[in-house]
Amino acid sequence: MKLPQTEAPSSDEARPRVSRDDVRRLFPILLLVLLAAAFAFTSSRFLQFNNLMIVAQQAVVLLVAALGMTFVIIAGSIDLSVGAIVAISALLAARTAGDLGAFAVVPACLMGLLCGLVNGLVVAKGKVPSFIVTLGTMVVYRGIVLYFTRGAPVSIEDETFLNIYSGRSFSVPHSALITIGLIVVTAIVLNLTVFGREVRAIGGGERIAFLTGIKVERVKIAIFGLVGLLCGMAGLLQAARSMAATAQLGEGLELDAIAAVVVGGTPLTGGVGSIQGTILGALIITILSNGMNIVGLDPYFQNIVKGLVLVLSVFVTIDRKKIGIIK
Amino acid sequence: MQIVASKISRTFGSTRALIDVSVELHGGEIHALVGENGAGKSTLLKILGGAERPDSGSMTIDGAPYRPASLNEAVAHGVGLVFQEITINPSLTVAENILVGQLNRFSRGGLLTEKALARRAQELLDSFSAKISVRQSLSSLDLGQWKCIEIARALSTRPEAVFFDESTAFLNHREVEVVLTAMRALRDRGLAVAFVSHHLAEVGAVADRLTILKDGRKVGDFEAGELDREQIQSLMVGRDMSKGIYPERADRVDGRTALTLTNVGAGAQLAPLSLTVQQGEIVGIAGLKGAGGERLLEIVAGVERASSGEIQIGDEAGAARSPSEGWAKGVAYLPGDRSGEGVIVSASVLDNLVMAQPPRHGPWFDRARASGLATEMVDALHIKTASIKAPSSSLSGGNLQKVVLGKCLAVKPRILLLNNPTRGVDVGARLEIYRSLRESAAQGLAIVVVSEDLNELIGLSDRILVMRAGIVTARIDDPSGATEDALIRYMT
Repeated sequence: MKLPQTEAPSSDEARPRVSRDDVRRLFPILLLVLLAAAFAFTSSRFLQFNNLMIVAQQAVVLLVAALGMTFVIIAGSIDLSVGAIVAISALLAARTAGDLGAFAVVPACLMGLLCGLVNGLVVAKGKVPSFIVTLGTMVVYRGIVLYFTRGAPVSIEDETFLNIYSGRSFSVPHSALITIGLIVVTAIVLNLTVFGREVRAIGGGERIAFLTGIKVERVKIAIFGLVGLLCGMAGLLQAARSMAATAQLGEGLELDAIAAVVVGGTPLTGGVGSIQGTILGALIITILSNGMNIVGLDPYFQNIVKGLVLVLSVFVTIDRKKIGIIK
Repeated sequence: MQIVASKISRTFGSTRALIDVSVELHGGEIHALVGENGAGKSTLLKILGGAERPDSGSMTIDGAPYRPASLNEAVAHGVGLVFQEITINPSLTVAENILVGQLNRFSRGGLLTEKALARRAQELLDSFSAKISVRQSLSSLDLGQWKCIEIARALSTRPEAVFFDESTAFLNHREVEVVLTAMRALRDRGLAVAFVSHHLAEVGAVADRLTILKDGRKVGDFEAGELDREQIQSLMVGRDMSKGIYPERADRVDGRTALTLTNVGAGAQLAPLSLTVQQGEIVGIAGLKGAGGERLLEIVAGVERASSGEIQIGDEAGAARSPSEGWAKGVAYLPGDRSGEGVIVSASVLDNLVMAQPPRHGPWFDRARASGLATEMVDALHIKTASIKAPSSSLSGGNLQKVVLGKCLAVKPRILLLNNPTRGVDVGARLEIYRSLRESAAQGLAIVVVSEDLNELIGLSDRILVMRAGIVTARIDDPSGATEDALIRYMT
């Protein structure tokens, strides 16, 4: 019998100029611009240099914690203890600032690292889901803070410490500069190192990563250690800004950090995500709060708006093709 | 009943999945739709079953127009569809799974009438001699029997035609046999049966007629027995396959020993086994699921521990204690479950290809060398991808499998362990996988391959071990003379 000739498949069909993927990718930046424009339009104060610097100061603690959370979420895990680690590190910074001055950063960061490593060890070696482990350590770490402070704030009076971590040079807050440094470092680690690839691989398929020879346990411990370290820094910055460590410091920060990562387009399912997205996410959340205050929105109404924005942005950015079951 | 589809076309984006394809299905006949991945066979079946709509063309059932807009409409016309994926819910009973779509017919005042439900479900199972009791628990049944439960579900709407979309893709030999028997029983009851399959052995075993598709067009309709397997393959691929799809065995490279196993055992799953594999040699392991071949690969790869015995890799004594140690010793492992163990779909082709040993300078990922290595693998294995940066999710099954193989070959391993390397892979991609395995072997790679495809083992291996329940039942030193039947005899 005669075989029909095969035809080259027709390609290069006209494509829509803005695809769904583009919308997904660009939505966070669009939202940020939109929010900024709306607030600037409503209040002339919003775009003033001074207010923008306040936004920067407000954003740093959330942003630094969210940078760490980005790694955890890309690896397919979660860390609910970041707020508590921030509190415990802030406490240590406040307690040691009088003796060590600016060097209080060392114990604060070591404390954060230690807390993170404990999380990582239990998750990786004990094979307990990170949600459960960090739900537990969140309470434990916060409990430690309460135990040692008895609920009373620990104030910081050391001038060098306050100058360095919450002062300004040429009107730019130091905390913002430190945060920019951390952004650069974390972006490099995530994008240019083998470790960064391993983090993505584990989130994309832990079993696959394991069978391909990636030392999954070691990488996971390192990830939680990294988050802890960053939260140590975040705690120090928060303590410097409020000139005190309190037992309530950083409460609810874990949820804001998760929200920042997710609003930035990093899915909770793991495997993909970016530092840029997290920066946008953290800025969106901060600007939303700041802007709503500046335009004088009823404070009792603000939480409703924040929650709606979170759901809306996930609704737009989520890639439903890649997720079989929506849990 | 007679279903006639004429001049069916369907386009997805820029891909023309079907171009003017006509086909006729008759009651009392099993009709096979065969072709490579992407030939359009599944699309055609889904259009016939109401799961997809054609862009143009028409269909009739016994002369009356048939234009199903949904699965339910097709069901109303007497057409049932059995899918490739397993759609059994393990938390329901056998009877509930079968009648899940009509549970409201078995309820009285909101409560389920279990007796009537079980009776009806049992009737459906018995109607094609499935040999399953509704009292059995799902966990005591194998995948083939699960498939039979799905068939019973398709029958619950009293169809006159039942279509199977690659329903045997995830099943082993024995389980496939159960499904094929069910298909014959349906035909003998006068139903029109149509199915899509990669496995020409299945087509040969049950099909009365077959339609070959290639690149969305129909190559032709044939009676069973009109073509032999090579001719079917040639028509599917569009080139002469009369020489077979397996590359010629090399004259044995008189290499050094790559892998030595001495009395390696793993409890009840693997009786102590000794084996040496030379460099340049391909050793096949045949056996049913659980016979021990997969466990053996896992032990050598470092995924599982042996409970006894010695393993020597090259000249080094000592087994790998983890996969990372295995890869470091030059043992590459291609697991059996491509999507769950082989390739990360959220990662790019490049990331997957260099995942095992990423090119690096200290902590830094060496992007330039990684791109070079990935490009080398894409070229060597003819991986069809828009670019090495494309997400793996954009690749077809055969190409994904080539990516997993490329990941293994990229580390230039000494030993390559393969678990069903061509499961769900079409003939064209198989050819390329076999060729590249033979080439790698010629360069000194030692390969151990476990496969449920016995023809593959016979065609590819230099030596075959046959296993049953953890014990080696036969060692075949010259597979070129072996037959599938001979292997099955030792397997069961």
